[in-house]
Amino acid sequence: VTAALAGLKVLDLSWVVAGPLIGRALADFGAEVVRVESSTRVETARLMQPFYGGVPGVENSALFGNCNAGKLGMTIDLKSDAGLAVVRDLVAWADVVIESFSPGQLARWGLDYETLAATKPELIMLSTSIAGQTGVWSRLAGYGNVGSSLSGFQGLVGWDDGIPLGPFGPYTDYVGPRLALVALLAAVENCRRTGQGCYIDVAQVEAGVFFLSPQVARYEVDGTITQRAGNRDEVFAPHGVYPSLPEQGAGRFVAVVARTDEEWQRLAHRMGRADLAGRSDLATAEGRRAAASELDDAVAGWTSGRTAADVERELQSLGVPAHVSANSADFAADPQLAARGHLVALDHPLHGTAHVEGPRYLLSETPGSVERPAPTLGRDNETVLRELLGYTDDQIRALEEGQVLR
Amino acid sequence: MLEHLRVLDLTDERGLLCGRLLADLGADVVQVEPLGGSTARSAPPMAATAGRPSLYWEAFAANKRGIVLDLDSETGLGVLRRLATRADIVVTSLPAGWLRERGLDPETLRAATPAMIYTHISAFGWTGPKAGYADSDLVVWAAGGPLDPHRADGRPPLRISVPQAFLHAAADAAAGSMLAVLARPATGRGQVVDVSAQASLGIATLGRVLATLVGDANPEWQQQPRARSDQSGSGAATPNSLKKWHCRDGMIELHLSMGPAAGTFTNNLFRWLDDEGAVPAHIAAWDWRAVPERVATGAMDLSDLDEARGAVRAFLLTKTKAEVLDAAIERRLLCMSIFDMGDIAASAHLEERDFWATVEIEGRARRIPGRFAQITGGGQPQVLRRAPRIGEHTDEVLRDWLGAAVGPAAALPEQIGASR
Repeated sequence: VTAALAGLKVLDLSWVVAGPLIGRALADFGAEVVRVESSTRVETARLMQPFYGGVPGVENSALFGNCNAGKLGMTIDLKSDAGLAVVRDLVAWADVVIESFSPGQLARWGLDYETLAATKPELIMLSTSIAGQTGVWSRLAGYGNVGSSLSGFQGLVGWDDGIPLGPFGPYTDYVGPRLALVALLAAVENCRRTGQGCYIDVAQVEAGVFFLSPQVARYEVDGTITQRAGNRDEVFAPHGVYPSLPEQGAGRFVAVVARTDEEWQRLAHRMGRADLAGRSDLATAEGRRAAASELDDAVAGWTSGRTAADVERELQSLGVPAHVSANSADFAADPQLAARGHLVALDHPLHGTAHVEGPRYLLSETPGSVERPAPTLGRDNETVLRELLGYTDDQIRALEEGQVLR
Repeated sequence: MLEHLRVLDLTDERGLLCGRLLADLGADVVQVEPLGGSTARSAPPMAATAGRPSLYWEAFAANKRGIVLDLDSETGLGVLRRLATRADIVVTSLPAGWLRERGLDPETLRAATPAMIYTHISAFGWTGPKAGYADSDLVVWAAGGPLDPHRADGRPPLRISVPQAFLHAAADAAAGSMLAVLARPATGRGQVVDVSAQASLGIATLGRVLATLVGDANPEWQQQPRARSDQSGSGAATPNSLKKWHCRDGMIELHLSMGPAAGTFTNNLFRWLDDEGAVPAHIAAWDWRAVPERVATGAMDLSDLDEARGAVRAFLLTKTKAEVLDAAIERRLLCMSIFDMGDIAASAHLEERDFWATVEIEGRARRIPGRFAQITGGGQPQVLRRAPRIGEHTDEVLRDWLGAAVGPAAALPEQIGASR
């Protein structure tokens, strides 16, 4: 099987989540991706949960593992001239460079797109940052939670009677890399056809706002500022997340939605609430929205006497949307994800087995695959220098002795 | 960049965004609607203006041409199949059963056109034990993982108040389609791209979906936060109430980050407080990069952290959202004003970056988000047309795509409409 991106050479100078996820997807589909890190200024994702065995440690983060599986890993001291010289060689090797330094940092090293493209017009470079490489906010420091605040998501999660809860984690870190990947793949296609590279500037704030396009357009058209509304929907009712029987001492929940009047009838009858099913004021979505609190109580009353899995099974058998609010144990055991091969186990030198998500979409002719777990610090220093860059033993020894590969 | 690609877009609201992304990058994207129009035309939010247009449609169908076909008639389906033979990519988010009934499934369509890329977007996947599940944005959000950790104060998990799940899947569908385009020269064939929104969402949980598999003893860590040693920059393991602060005219998102990677930002914050005399000297002297270690070794007392928080709380109450944003830029703080749609629309930064596209909605020029990425050196994403009216381009698309092969193109639309 030929890989979709066979032969594509990618230098990944990014860190944490938004940048590394892009290179991860490229590696899944056959690109050769070299991820550069520092072992002295350890990248944030390595310090983040969840950890193998629950034990914090720079080699233990499953988040880092998920964002960097399939890549080759190098450690380089970017504060040294010799280290920067290695990076220059990697840039010369690469078809694609992905980076997430603070805007302006690459220019200080003479590694910005403009400088590089002067001698290598076919280069594709992608920068990902909070607010972009230009503009008054470009000097903003920050992670995806800053992106969530400035793009409107922070205020759009929460109960209507409370302070904003904000999305779980740095939400724009999950949006930016998806949009970035589309632009990057289009650039690769364009480069194959024309020989011309380009520079792609991805801003998490802009990616986030893009995912709120309908709400921004609404403000533009009629001045409405969309408000947080708990789990209520603008159209469907009931529409919520309801408590089910606790399991192993922990609270469990199930999502239930009626999309149509017929689904509402089926739901109400299944709940044994013929009284509600017969009420004319609840026959339409508008009427049910007006009675949303009453309906939420009724649904919660029914679900709380059942397991979440039973609710899902009973309602799905009637064609009514319902699903367990999946925790990580549910995700690991989900038969649908298993059927897709979504969770992948790989041999790992420290953990025995590494667990990562597989490629997010299934391609029938050139399926993605995960060739190796994420690098331990400096795992592929020699391989990259010798095999990809053609360094000699003496050159490699000099770098090691000079403490450059750390 | 993608001007050489034709995309036949059979999506509803679940997949509408995919074609918009490809169109912005230059592809010729033709949105197919059934008689009476796409269900995405009634996807919320609806504007409170005379025609009550769906702004979901106006935003995500922008830049496409639109045709209408009777998808319950052989004539309409016959035209659709002929159009499909001319497409590089067919993308749909209609249910598998519906597509099979009409011979629009990937096996049937690709048999006639092996070079075709067929991209299917669904809640769970084209096949599998949950492929037939009834779905909605909330149900997919629950199944994919982002819902469950998203809670506070003992209440049920919370979604984002506007639909998001299928946007992730639709964006993934655009990337998956491009991968198939890139594979085509090597394989000489197209292929099927099967996108599951559930599978797309795993990465939207900050790795949490892997916690049980890797044996994290505390997989529900979002509920038992290790706030004192959360070393992330984003404060993902810190409870919400510790990350939201009132300022003079609104609210601020701020996580007091600590540890070697992100502690510097909190050092910067306390320098600001110190400059304005708003923090006792012994707290101003802390190095937040070393705080987790000092707490772990007992060199620091946890009540010290509360004193620091109190100083921040009192200080921020004296500042406006604008002042905090300015300081965040000047002083490199992880301290952010919580913006609403009005703040976003007024952003000088987005204006300066030429982020917006302008399209006509109900006869008036309106701004919608435009450049999802800024590309220099060729291929800047752009929006060249508003979302289509029902059947607006039927005639010209049949002429462009089928040309003489279809006979007198002008006669077709009536034929299609009348054939039911």
